[in-house]
Amino acid sequence: MASAAIEPTIDESAIDKVEQTIENTFVQKVVRWVFSAAGITICLTILIAIVASIHKGPYILVNTIITGGMWALMAIGLSLLFSVMNIAGFAHGEYFMAGSLTAYFVMQPIGKYTLDHPESFITYVGPLIAILAGTFMCAILGVITERLVFKQLRIRNREGWLLNCFLITIGLSVIMQNGHQLIFGADFKGILAYWDFPSVPILGVYISMDRVCAFFIAALTMVGFYMFMMFSTAGKTIRAVSQDEEGARMVGISVDAVHIMTFALSCGLAGLAGASLLFMFPSYPTVGVMPLYNSWFIIILVGFGNVAGSIPGGFMIALFQVLTRSYFGEGWEAVIPVLLISLILIFKPSGIFATKVRTVWDQ
Amino acid sequence: MASEHEYYVQKKGIAKFLDYLCLTPLGAIGFLILIIVPLFPPFNQDYLLRWFILAAIMGAGSMAFDFSAGYIAVVNFGFAAFVGLGAYTSAITAVRWGIPLPVAMLCGALASALLGLFTGAISLRMRGMFAICLTWFIGIALMGLAIKMVWLTRGMLGLQVPYFFPSDVSNLYYWYPVLGLSLMTWFILKRIARSHMGLAFKAIGQNMDAAKTSGINPTRYRIINFTVSCALAGWVGAFYAHFIGILTPDFLHTAKTVEFLVIAYIGGRGTLWGGFAVAFPFIWFTEMLRSNFDYLPGINLLIYGLILIVIMIFYAGGMAQFFQYLVDKYKDNPTVRWLTT
Repeated sequence: MASAAIEPTIDESAIDKVEQTIENTFVQKVVRWVFSAAGITICLTILIAIVASIHKGPYILVNTIITGGMWALMAIGLSLLFSVMNIAGFAHGEYFMAGSLTAYFVMQPIGKYTLDHPESFITYVGPLIAILAGTFMCAILGVITERLVFKQLRIRNREGWLLNCFLITIGLSVIMQNGHQLIFGADFKGILAYWDFPSVPILGVYISMDRVCAFFIAALTMVGFYMFMMFSTAGKTIRAVSQDEEGARMVGISVDAVHIMTFALSCGLAGLAGASLLFMFPSYPTVGVMPLYNSWFIIILVGFGNVAGSIPGGFMIALFQVLTRSYFGEGWEAVIPVLLISLILIFKPSGIFATKVRTVWDQ
Repeated sequence: MASEHEYYVQKKGIAKFLDYLCLTPLGAIGFLILIIVPLFPPFNQDYLLRWFILAAIMGAGSMAFDFSAGYIAVVNFGFAAFVGLGAYTSAITAVRWGIPLPVAMLCGALASALLGLFTGAISLRMRGMFAICLTWFIGIALMGLAIKMVWLTRGMLGLQVPYFFPSDVSNLYYWYPVLGLSLMTWFILKRIARSHMGLAFKAIGQNMDAAKTSGINPTRYRIINFTVSCALAGWVGAFYAHFIGILTPDFLHTAKTVEFLVIAYIGGRGTLWGGFAVAFPFIWFTEMLRSNFDYLPGINLLIYGLILIVIMIFYAGGMAQFFQYLVDKYKDNPTVRWLTT
């Protein structure tokens, strides 16, 4: 009797698991990834980018990489906001606008100074100061919004949070757009170039210094953001709150501080994108609508609340937009994406990089 | 005001008839005032009547908007595009095929309903956020199409639309049809909201998981609700087209959606009548702002945004909540009770 009880039962699933872990060599991982939805899309994107660049000229690749990085920054901020605080940020484009506006006003005296002193070091550092000013301005604006609006809502009413926040961000967006129009006017406020140097030849194409710098700024920010989220204490607390707010509060994380930090980060990233793209998108009241549209497109494409997926998503969307514009002409870039979105929603509503950890979110 | 007792109180005489129309005696009185007010000065001037009519159109539109936003908690963020699709369809069918305008209006409603059905079938399986995004994208796409398809819509130049009545008649000719249209919209929406289906809508809006547990198929009911809302949007838009006489793609802009949304939410979500009641003072107020502060462009939109945020944070029920508060305060008074049930 006793021996029968002790007799070890063979757990088939455990053996399968062991076999699976043994099979997980690097090559097999890569092969499996390539044939997953994410792998297929990324490989297809790269392939299409290369084919289109050969067909239409390398400017497609260059434009994709430069704007894609910035859209990815926007989408990272938006995605962070969504996964940590469950706020659908429809005012995010307005932080883009605020960033570009600040950069414009900071750049005015710097531009004057560098005209008089072309040899001074300000020529190199000045634009960076403008971009940083835009970033910090937006971070501060974000904190103010959080304190003045979302904190108040959180204190008073947590029912139907997602919908209420969505409506509030619409209100914010309307206020900021029309505030810009009232105070600064509706005309285009742009600059010709940040770094007024000769263009750099890459792959036989001449690329302006600004674009090269914009790409490096985006790349550095993404790496910095990844490091921050993965290794710093602050980043870890943000991730903890995004997974379980109550749990985070129980282990002594100040959720309030995390909310402020998230808002500052996400709005700062939008401001950074706006400030760095000032040479492409001059600041005017509704400049943020297109970036906002793109970032929501990215979020639907990669799945809600997937922060890391926003980076490849940004490049995909940028490529998609550049392709629509060069093959269908100006004006169709608002129409074609709807077809793609419909296809995604029909066949893969959780996005192509569906996350395993789902944050709690109601309707 | 639709209170919970409404279904159980036995009604007699005129109250019974009004109840069939889904009107409380107070609502009926308000409606009668709206019927006679434009006959007396100072409201019988043409430009005042014009904002009366525009306000009624906005009010009817915000009722249709509130039907999906208030009942099933799905915000149609491309609502103006659905209204505009109805308007364009009605105008184009009337011009191209020469069909009578009421039939053309039905065509407009049908077009919006079909687009609503398509949108709903794709996005309403998932959480409400997907519907918001998809309707927003569709709104922007429709506006892009209206700009690009110059051969059909004449793009930014604006499409000439046949009027209901000869252009030299008083606006009073439009006032009674628009009142009828609003009453019709109210009647349809309220009848649905009172039926078993309306109960299912409310259940889904309050707690979808609980509704699922009770055996309600949320997707099906949400699609029905959304389609009805879009159809009425198209129908209101078609009327707007034949009243205003010229259609531009700007009418499909998200800013217009925000206008409907603000009116519906100030009025009170989930009440239907709130938006219609608020539309009149609201449109008047913003027209005042626009005409008196023309050196401050966009001031009216700025105030929309502020009001929306303040309402969302401090008084989520809007004007209807305040009204309910007053009714509850005086509920022992038999006249008040008769008027409001």
